[in-house]
Amino acid sequence: MTAEANGVPVQLRNGRTALHLHCHKRADGPNLLLLHELYGNAHDWAEAAAGWDGSVFALDFSGHGRSGWRDGGIYSPEVLAADADAALGELGDTFVAGAGVGAYAALLLAGGRPGSVRAALLLPGEGLAGGGAEPQVHPDREAFARLIEAHRSSADPSSASHDPRVVLSGSDMRPPDYARVFAERAKALLLAEDGTPRPSWWEHLRDVDGVVRCTGDLGSALGRLGNLV
Amino acid sequence: MAPLFSSAMVPRMKYDTALEPHPEWKHAAPHRRHVIRPLGVPIVLHEWGDPEADPVVLVHGFLDHGRGFEPIALPLAEHYRVISYDARGHGESGWCDGYAWSVEVAELVEILRWTGKPCFVIGHSRGGAMATDAAIQAPETVRKLINVDGFGPPPEGFVPPGIQSDDRTHAERMEHYLDRRRQDSGERTWRAYESIEALMGRRQRQNPRLGGSWLEHFVRIGSRRTETGFVWRADPMVTGGFGPWRPQWAARQWPSLERPMLAVIGSEQDTWGPLPESMLAPRLARIPELERATVDDAGHFVHMEQPEATVELARDWFAS
Repeated sequence: MTAEANGVPVQLRNGRTALHLHCHKRADGPNLLLLHELYGNAHDWAEAAAGWDGSVFALDFSGHGRSGWRDGGIYSPEVLAADADAALGELGDTFVAGAGVGAYAALLLAGGRPGSVRAALLLPGEGLAGGGAEPQVHPDREAFARLIEAHRSSADPSSASHDPRVVLSGSDMRPPDYARVFAERAKALLLAEDGTPRPSWWEHLRDVDGVVRCTGDLGSALGRLGNLV
Repeated sequence: MAPLFSSAMVPRMKYDTALEPHPEWKHAAPHRRHVIRPLGVPIVLHEWGDPEADPVVLVHGFLDHGRGFEPIALPLAEHYRVISYDARGHGESGWCDGYAWSVEVAELVEILRWTGKPCFVIGHSRGGAMATDAAIQAPETVRKLINVDGFGPPPEGFVPPGIQSDDRTHAERMEHYLDRRRQDSGERTWRAYESIEALMGRRQRQNPRLGGSWLEHFVRIGSRRTETGFVWRADPMVTGGFGPWRPQWAARQWPSLERPMLAVIGSEQDTWGPLPESMLAPRLARIPELERATVDDAGHFVHMEQPEATVELARDWFAS
């Protein structure tokens, strides 16, 4: 761990893209890594730090916040999970919480790195559903036009809050059986439920051994996460 | 267009050198070369023939390059404006920090629009499937389509003879993907071979039906000389993607194709195709307006192995 102090960012890389890991809090206890929703950033989690007994870090995914924009603009959830894995490489054993597309990336990371992710909390948010379980027979030509528009955008990385091309990570396919094998391999998963509908990939995790559900606010969910293992 | 790319996107080592074409193929070289940025990434286009003629756009396969169409480009250029291009991460075009099918389909659509007219399109292998998806998403850009053995990989669970099956779950494979991402410093390169002949030998192991001066020319254009030897020109990262994509999705949207397709398939089994008929037929059955042609004495690379037959089929199909 080379992060020096509260508020001091850690610079990481995923391939050629620089990543910004924000330290919200340094304290004795287990690490918590926070993964924001689509179009969000590390500062979405300002209130989360107080409720965790340990150090709290939040990542700006590539294409978001102060992290770099990817050459070619490809932002699949698997790429975002690899962003988070760069943080995991820095932090070592870590609890992970993610919202929206960050929740899906947290699932991929928890199943991909069961030796390092002690438990993961999945929260709703922007980019949770992706583009559905599988491609539809009829093409979505409006979505295709939006994809082209995002990739032809003249947005300026120095002033824009996010790369317009991250729209791709809200339209990828998320088959339930694919999501499920990550849940089955994860050490422990906590699903934050609030009675509102969840995408099919989420629904198919609920009966996996080791998957636990919770309700309530973020603070209580983080408290539950820390006690899972 | 925003400065979404930089010269750093196409890494060039100090000693990198493009290789000369084979002398027997110099006559087939493109008449014009363009660099455009349809979606921000620099894409190299190769053009033959009358710029005012009806356009034919050629879409190459995985790990190939746009000049792999030279055996058919020159004869087609007698009647058409012929354009091929190096897909992102391939040939002389820009490298990216990740690749995605939908974005490359969008890039092809923007290249078709760049020509200014609806196009005849010929795609080979991955390029054939990509051209099909482009015609589905933007039918106004395509007049007619020729798909040369680009009907997707075999169904899940089918392991070709001689290939080791991979029984790992996606989550287990994810760990390997994450390891690769951690090891990627951005300075990516293939293994260096000591000679162009060694590189040709490697290619011929995968494509045993290719040979002679054409194979040497194809390999020369698709590789470069570095300080340590000869390496493939494509970005190694084009092989490094990861996700839930599955072969049965390849033909999912084909019933929505609103343009006629000529499916061109070689008569001979080859490393990368054609698919066994029991797998191919159900996929082709999803194409609403289909004609099918089998080219004798050709494997997967029909346009390279039998260029004259391919050109004749294309001319007839476009004119019909």
